Amino acid sequence: MATARPVVSIYNFENPSEKTGTMPMPVVLQSPLRPDLVREVHRDMAKNKRQAYAVKPKAGYDTAAESWCTGRAVARIPRAPGGGTHRAGQAAFGNQARGGGMFNPTTIWRRWHRRVNVTKKRHAVACALAASALPPLVMARGHKINQVAELPLVVSDGIQSLTKTKQAKEALKKLGCGEELQKVIDSKSIRAGQGKARNRRYVKRLGPLVIYNEDNGITRAMRNIPGVECAHVDRLNLLRLAPGGSFGRFVIFTEGAFKKLSDIYGTLKSGAPKKKGYTLPRAAMANADLARIINSTEVQSVLRPKMERYTHGIKRNALKSKELMEELNPGSTERRAVHLKSSQKGTPEYDEVQKKKKARIEESKKYNKEHKKGDETFYKTLMKAFEAKAAADAAKKAAEKAEDEEDEE
Amino acid sequence: MHNDETIWACLGENGFCSFKVRWKEPKQDFCRNPYNVNGLCNKMSCPLANSQYATIIEEEGINYLYMKTVERAHSPKNLWERVKLSRNFLQALEQISKHLEFWPDRVINRCKQRLTKMRQMLIRMRKLSLKGGTKLVPIKKKTEKREATRELKAESAAKVDLAIERELLERLKQGTYGDIYNFPKKNFDSVMEKEDEEQELQDEDESDMEFVEDLGEDDEEWEDIDNKVEEVEVEGDLGMNDLEEVSLPARKKRRGKVEVEYEHEIDTR
Repeated sequence: MATARPVVSIYNFENPSEKTGTMPMPVVLQSPLRPDLVREVHRDMAKNKRQAYAVKPKAGYDTAAESWCTGRAVARIPRAPGGGTHRAGQAAFGNQARGGGMFNPTTIWRRWHRRVNVTKKRHAVACALAASALPPLVMARGHKINQVAELPLVVSDGIQSLTKTKQAKEALKKLGCGEELQKVIDSKSIRAGQGKARNRRYVKRLGPLVIYNEDNGITRAMRNIPGVECAHVDRLNLLRLAPGGSFGRFVIFTEGAFKKLSDIYGTLKSGAPKKKGYTLPRAAMANADLARIINSTEVQSVLRPKMERYTHGIKRNALKSKELMEELNPGSTERRAVHLKSSQKGTPEYDEVQKKKKARIEESKKYNKEHKKGDETFYKTLMKAFEAKAAADAAKKAAEKAEDEEDEE
Repeated sequence: MHNDETIWACLGENGFCSFKVRWKEPKQDFCRNPYNVNGLCNKMSCPLANSQYATIIEEEGINYLYMKTVERAHSPKNLWERVKLSRNFLQALEQISKHLEFWPDRVINRCKQRLTKMRQMLIRMRKLSLKGGTKLVPIKKKTEKREATRELKAESAAKVDLAIERELLERLKQGTYGDIYNFPKKNFDSVMEKEDEEQELQDEDESDMEFVEDLGEDDEEWEDIDNKVEEVEVEGDLGMNDLEEVSLPARKKRRGKVEVEYEHEIDTR
């Protein structure tokens, strides 16, 4: 909001190349841009001019039809009574019957209109006005404003006193609206659809909206210029400011009207003098330029240094990578080298190993000679266990045999 | 308020912009704004959503560098500043670098790329115009059909054969073919008689409508023929060249009478 221009030039309507003065920018035109809000409010507001349409209440049911019930080899749908005409016995009622009513007949008590909160409507208008002050948005909406000197375009009050259409057209052309007016004229075409037979035969684009304060002939003068619409500042309509729900209409203000905007809407602090209890919408962010904020020194200076994420390299397998193995298990390479060498005859490592082996065998033999003699030998100890078991088995058998003999007896 | 970010939010992906063209397959957004540097619709290349922007635009074979800055953002009339670029490519590139000296590198690069593209396009245009090339004209079925039918009708109405026949006979009678053709006498005479009959019929019709007074004239005409006959003889005596045949004297229209033709041979002495 603080980034807006403080002052707007006023152009002389007779000679638009000269400026007659300047005026401070009203706060309304700095309202936050809310395309979603405008769309929503427009959607609902647009429904309010609708006229009801419906099928006749009795449509399709204006017969004394009764079902023939079962037993007559016909479907049970209600049928028209009587005789003597084709109509007798024909199906009636129901959407499937010829001449019957429709499914879910349209009714006049459909909820045609929508109510919109007053504040919401006012916010939408403020937003739409703000959008009309921004050239990119007006261009994006489709208006040809390449020759317009400034946006918002404010013209001296003299234009309000114009009575002749010719003069008005000249004035507009001098203000740079020639391209825009031509666009409207070129765009006139026959409407597609039934509307052409319903008194809505032609369609054309919209041109500028002239907002005035005092009507001294301007409405009549501008009335017949294709595409041009007039509106009084006090009675601004969202349906004109944001046609089709898209804001950014090309708007031409008269000096008086522009001044009055400040009188109507006031500022954020003061509230709107002419709209009771209403204050202009506040932006969610005072400065919406996110990139700028993030990159500003105020923010950057307070940030901690960027966290370096540890990115794992490729996982290495210690069993395959000798370097990694050495890292994890120091000395392993040496040991491995020795181990390899020890199987090669003639190396000192080999001799070392053989020496150890010999010593070990000697020890073992010595021990065996000392301790394992007589009954302590391996074989003897083995058989001892076997004998014990054999004896146990024999005893068991004898016992069984004795039993058998007793039984026999 | 006049924030590039907010404006892009209104225009961009989920917003509305009259210059935006959306393709679904492949998924691509284009920008129809004439000032767009690469024709795509994204935040970087949107001429509306960037208050500082530069493009190259070609007008009648000359490339211009267009620039816009925030300071003039409120005034559409004076928005774009333009610099005429040199026709020399390298010099033009230097011009771009100079004018966009403190601008982001990407902008400079994009402008230079666009300049290259423009120049290539112009080269191609010049080559094509030299070639001439074929202009494709569509075949309009309806028109073709209609014209063909009309041609046939016109042809049959014109009765070309008859006209040719008539013309040829005329020429024959006049003698433009001289001695070239030898027609069998019988057929020739019959055709001639037919012609005469036709003419006589015509004449008779006329005579019905007209007068009886002219009997006197016949004598005069007869006299004339005698004179002519004599003249011919005289000329022959004077020593005309070898003319074995004299072209048939001009026939005068006789009413109801049989024409007598004399063919005189001229002796060459």
